[in-house]
Amino acid sequence: MEKNPFRVTLHVKDIRLQVLNAIRRTVISDVPTMAVDKIVVTSNTSVFYDEYIAHRIGLVPLTSETALEKYRDPETCREASESDLFSSDCFATLVLEKSNPPNSGENIVVYSGDMKPLDPDVKPVFDKIPLVILGPGHEIRLEAHARLGRGREHAKWSPVSVAYHRYIAEINVDPEKCTPDECGGCIEICPKNLFKIEDGRVVVDDERIFECTLCRICVDACPTGAIKVEWRRNEYLFTIESTGALPPKRILLEAVHILEEKINELENALREEGVVS
Amino acid sequence: MMFPVRCFTCGAPIGHLWEEYKKRVEAGEDPGKVLDDLGVKRYCCRRMFISHAEISYEILKFPKVS
Repeated sequence: MEKNPFRVTLHVKDIRLQVLNAIRRTVISDVPTMAVDKIVVTSNTSVFYDEYIAHRIGLVPLTSETALEKYRDPETCREASESDLFSSDCFATLVLEKSNPPNSGENIVVYSGDMKPLDPDVKPVFDKIPLVILGPGHEIRLEAHARLGRGREHAKWSPVSVAYHRYIAEINVDPEKCTPDECGGCIEICPKNLFKIEDGRVVVDDERIFECTLCRICVDACPTGAIKVEWRRNEYLFTIESTGALPPKRILLEAVHILEEKINELENALREEGVVS
Repeated sequence: MMFPVRCFTCGAPIGHLWEEYKKRVEAGEDPGKVLDDLGVKRYCCRRMFISHAEISYEILKFPKVS
């Protein structure tokens, strides 16, 4: 329904809430992306602590689409990271080298775009994120090692900032009970202006029904009890907002594949154990 | 300290928008309108901008002790 490079809203029908929620949770915590995991600081004479800079760099989203095929899976690379082995099949390296001459007389801001990626496929999504400020005479030199990871390990690897589903309202106005000439209270009180008068009757604007938040303020405002607010069964609005690491479409596809794999794994395990035949 | 890279609550990247926000607000624009313009929709992200205190330039005046 809605689509821009970072955000999609899907209108899904005939799907049960449990299934949709499983997909949503897979999106948040199981779809891998690239993020800086370890940094090696060779020189930092700025006023900021190494840890503070490392934390900021870790949160910078990195483009991950080709990296998904190119680098090894998060679990393998996590072990490699713990033993400080930065092998090229797990890690993409970004180099940051910047200095401010002692007599410059001004501060310079170091941006995410100043990090030079050794692998052009893994680079910061946004170039203008301020990382450090260097005063005169300050210098920073570091190597940042990025790897694939999952949101369940650290939120910086989550491909989305928000992923949610919401109900779609179904509002019924009983024409026998409704008295638009004397009342019309619902028209004025609705925060989304969903009601209008058509041929002397109060009707709901069908095109904008998705905006209804199910607040039921109209039900309370109606003196004759003519309005009934319910929601449609097995029909939802599903929204994904990407951090930019992966396009929303890819996130959804990956999530479905991962979920499918997990279910197959469960089935195989059940067969092996002889629980089912 | 410096403006955060991401929103504390929802995790949306916001760091790259700070400088434009600051420039435009200092030029006299209404902060709310600037945020609408930059596409900062949720109130969790919006409060990151309006409540931010830039103290990193103060810290810069002091030498580092390590």
